[in-house]
Amino acid sequence: MPEEKALNGTKQNTEPASPLSGLAPMTKNQVMDIAMDLGKILLKSGAETSRVEDTMMRFCRSYGYYDLNVFCTPTVIILGDESPRGKSRVFRVRWRATDLGLIMDINELSYNFRRWKLDYAGAKRWLQGRLALSHPYGNTAVCLASGFGSACFAMLLGSASIYNFVAAFLTGFIAMALLKMVNSFHPTPFWENFLAGLSIGIVAQTCCLLYPYCTLENITVGALMPFLPGLAFTNGVRDYMAGDLLSGNSRIAEAGLFALSIAIGLAFALKVWDWGGLP
Amino acid sequence: MMHYLMAFAFAFFATVAFGVLFQGPKRILWRSGLIGGLGWIIFIGLKEGFSVHSFSANFLATVVIALASELFARIWKEPTTVFEVPAIIPLVPGLGMYKGMNYILQDYVSYGSEVLLGAAVDSCAIALGIMMVSGVLRALKTGNDMARQRQQDLLGTAVPPDLYVTDPEEEK
Repeated sequence: MPEEKALNGTKQNTEPASPLSGLAPMTKNQVMDIAMDLGKILLKSGAETSRVEDTMMRFCRSYGYYDLNVFCTPTVIILGDESPRGKSRVFRVRWRATDLGLIMDINELSYNFRRWKLDYAGAKRWLQGRLALSHPYGNTAVCLASGFGSACFAMLLGSASIYNFVAAFLTGFIAMALLKMVNSFHPTPFWENFLAGLSIGIVAQTCCLLYPYCTLENITVGALMPFLPGLAFTNGVRDYMAGDLLSGNSRIAEAGLFALSIAIGLAFALKVWDWGGLP
Repeated sequence: MMHYLMAFAFAFFATVAFGVLFQGPKRILWRSGLIGGLGWIIFIGLKEGFSVHSFSANFLATVVIALASELFARIWKEPTTVFEVPAIIPLVPGLGMYKGMNYILQDYVSYGSEVLLGAAVDSCAIALGIMMVSGVLRALKTGNDMARQRQQDLLGTAVPPDLYVTDPEEEK
C-alpha cells in the first residue's frame, strides 16, 4: 500500500503514543478526508448538526489531531485546520434526505473505529459499501407506508370507521406517489409541499363527494401527517439544546416554511373547490 | 379498555409506517413503534381520562417518549434520534393546524387564530419536553467530555505534548 511506504520512519510509527495504540496510521489529509465523508453522509441523511460536529471532532481527535475544528450548519460543513500552513475543506449541502439507518451505522462506525482497525482504504471501502445499501425501501414501499400511516392517523383522531381508513390510505398514497413522480424534476421544497397539500385537498374532497360517510377533517389531517416537518422540528429543538443556535434557528425556520407551504397548497385546493361550487 | 388498546395499535402502526418513511432499518421499527404507542396512550389517557389540559398532556407524553428512547438507546446502543423522531410524530398537533387554517379560510378569523395558537402552544409543549430531557441527559452523559473541550477551547492548540501528533506529510 502506498501510504505505508510514505509513513515509514516517521514520528507517528516509531513512537508508541498511547491514544493511537489501536489505530492504523493515517496522514492528516486522509483523516480530514474520512472525517469530511462522515460529516457529509450524516448531514445528508438528516442528522442533527451537533451529532455531525461531534462525530467529526471525535474522529479527528482519536487520531491526535487536536488542531482540526469543525463548523457545521444545515447547509455547509467547514473542516478547518488551526495550525499554520493548515488547509481547510468546505462542503456545501444542497439536497438533504432522511435515512435513519445510515445515521445509525455511521454512529456505530465512529464508536468502533478503534476496534475494527480500519485503515484509510478500508474505511473508504466500508463507507462505499454502506452507501450502496442506503435507502433500503423503494418508492413503492414508501408510498404504501405513507398511505398506511395516514390511514392509522385518521383512525387515531376519533370517529374511527373503515371508510375513513380506506379514504385516508388512498389520499396519502396518491400524494406521496405524485411527489415521487415529480422528484426527477428536482422541485424546490416549497413547490413539493405545495403540490402535496394540493393533491391531498383534491383527493380528500373527491372521496367525501363519492362517499358521504367519510369525514373530511380526519382524512385530510391523517394524510397531511407524512408531509409535516417533524424531523426538522425535532432536530431544531435538539440543536438549540446542544448550543448550536444558528442551526436551531434555520431548522425551525425550515419546519415553519414547509408547514406553511403545505397549508397554502391545501387552502388553494379548498378554495378552488368552493369556487367551483362543489359541496 | 378496548378504546385504549385500539389507540395503542393504531399509534404503533403509524409509528412503524413513519419509520419506513424515514428509511429506518427493520430492527428498530417495532422498538420505535412501542415508544410511539406508549406516548400516544399516555397522551389520550391524561387528556380524556384525567381531563388534563392538552399542554400538560403533550408535555408529559413527550417526556415519557424522550426518556423511553434514551433508555432504548442505552439498551441497544443506537442513537437516540432514531427512536425519538418517529415516536414523536403522533403527538404533532396536525388537527389543530388544519382546523385553524380552515376557519380562517371561511372568514372566522378570530376563532381560527385561537385554534392555531392552541396548536402552536401544543408544539411548544413538545419542544419543551424534548429540550428538558435531552438537556438533562446531555449534561449527565457528556459532562466530562464538555469540561475537557472547554479547557481546550480556552487553551487553543496547547494540548498535552503526548497527545499532539505532527503530520508526517508536513515534516517532509
